[in-house]
Amino acid sequence: MTEPKIRFDKVSKRYGSLTVLDRLDFEVDEGEVVTIIGPSGSGKTTVLRVLMTLEGVQDGVIWVSGEPLNKMQSKNGMVPANKAHIRRIRSRIGMVFQNFNLFPHMTALDNCIEAPIQSLGLSKAEAVERAEELLAMVGLAEKRDQYPSQLSGGQQQRVAIARALAMRPEIILFDEPTSALDPEMVGEVLSVIRALAAEHSYTILLVTHQMGFAREISDRVCFFDGGKIVEQGLPNELFGNPQNSRLQQFLSKVLEAR
Amino acid sequence: MNVRYSAIAALIAFLLGLAVATFSELRIFLPALLRGAAVTIEISILSAILFFSMSFIAGIGRLNSIRPIRWISTIYIEVFRGTSLLVILFWFFFVLPSFGVVLSPTQAAVLGLGLNFGAYGAEVVRGAITAVPKGQKEASAALNLPDWKSTLRIVIPQAIPIAIPGLSNLTIEMIKATALVSAVTLVDITFASVQQNQIHYRTLDIFIVAMVIYYCFSQLIRFGGAILEARMTRHLARPH
Ligand SMILES: Nc1ncnc2c1ncn2[C@@H]1O[C@H](COP(=O)(O)OP(=O)(O)O)[C@@H](O)[C@H]1O
Ligand SMILES: [Mg+2]
Repeated sequence: MTEPKIRFDKVSKRYGSLTVLDRLDFEVDEGEVVTIIGPSGSGKTTVLRVLMTLEGVQDGVIWVSGEPLNKMQSKNGMVPANKAHIRRIRSRIGMVFQNFNLFPHMTALDNCIEAPIQSLGLSKAEAVERAEELLAMVGLAEKRDQYPSQLSGGQQQRVAIARALAMRPEIILFDEPTSALDPEMVGEVLSVIRALAAEHSYTILLVTHQMGFAREISDRVCFFDGGKIVEQGLPNELFGNPQNSRLQQFLSKVLEAR
Repeated sequence: MNVRYSAIAALIAFLLGLAVATFSELRIFLPALLRGAAVTIEISILSAILFFSMSFIAGIGRLNSIRPIRWISTIYIEVFRGTSLLVILFWFFFVLPSFGVVLSPTQAAVLGLGLNFGAYGAEVVRGAITAVPKGQKEASAALNLPDWKSTLRIVIPQAIPIAIPGLSNLTIEMIKATALVSAVTLVDITFASVQQNQIHYRTLDIFIVAMVIYYCFSQLIRFGGAILEARMTRHLARPH
């Protein structure tokens, strides 16, 4: 029996009286590409944020490669994880944000070498070599000395992807990576993600409203509503023959809008 | 633009002051005023070093995740903002000796000014740090940077240009507040002017020169702050 790469075990996340994740059970296998779709406010971003440890959870355990993320083993059983434990586990995870969140006071290259040097302890030469490779991979080798303000949205997001990959994560989270982009720049970012997904060397969790893209690259699609997975399955089944009425409504709305 | 206008205004004011002073035999009192100006400059520079340091230490401390650090910072800020600078100066110079701590006039003045303005500066720095978009901290966490590195290398560099206008205003306020250091027996411009006036009775010329000197200092700081801010935000402007 192989451990799933990511496992949510009855995870609950509340903001005050608002329950955003409701005893969520959710698994992702190693190398799997899973897309999360669902209406706004259904908790898609929250799933990624608690996995990235940007938010804590009230209940349940999140497992990464068989190790608990928000808890740790001690002689008294499971206790809340401390910072060192969280840092160790989350080093396997990278995240790409809707608004890029590049460091505006650093060039594209510096954005990509900052964490490898400061967090992984790479030498500058090693980090630069790695960053240059990745910038070339996302097609931005010649933009290495540009600041984020000098790049288009699509270019910024590609730098952000290179920056995340520079940490050699095993899991990459994408939160609506193209939602903040002008339409003509969506394609260049999607093609980078498509290439990563095709490799299957990363476990990928993607939140998107690009249904065509989700259908094309995903191994599995999950439909979220009200902090729960309401329906999930192979992309062709889920999009071609949706069972749940809320999913049917959601899909017809999304497709209408296009 | 504004910077250039205020620089021109400063120049004109300086020339005017110089003209008035020249006409009124400035030779008799100017040396004493310049000695006073030197004291004002010395106190200002030393106090500014302490003021900036305390602004950042307490401003960052107030947002620290460790509670006692937050408390100490808050207590410092509240105590020094809530009390009068003059009373603080008296404390350092006249009260501390009875606890066995004897400070020189310069030490007392620098400590009083630096700590007092540092408390205001800490609030400016805190505001600037909170103004840095929270996505920056989140991106640092996602890249697994330790908290202190994300503060030091990601957040603070972006907070500094935001804090510069506030800090340069406070610096100007602080230079003007150095006029209080005569309370601890220092002869700064203000006190030198008072003394010279008592000797020579040239109230108008003496105090015009004193005003012009203060004004020039202020403009210098404003100008310097604006240049620094412009330099630091060069790459930050978002075209869209
Ligand atoms: N920091 C927060 N404080 C309070 N409520 C929040 C916070 N973040 C998200 N929420 C709420 O949680 C719900 C789920 O949010 P989110 O996961 O961002 O949804 P989605 O990404 O699916 O649109 C929404 O109702 C949102 O308003
Ligand atoms: Mg969202």
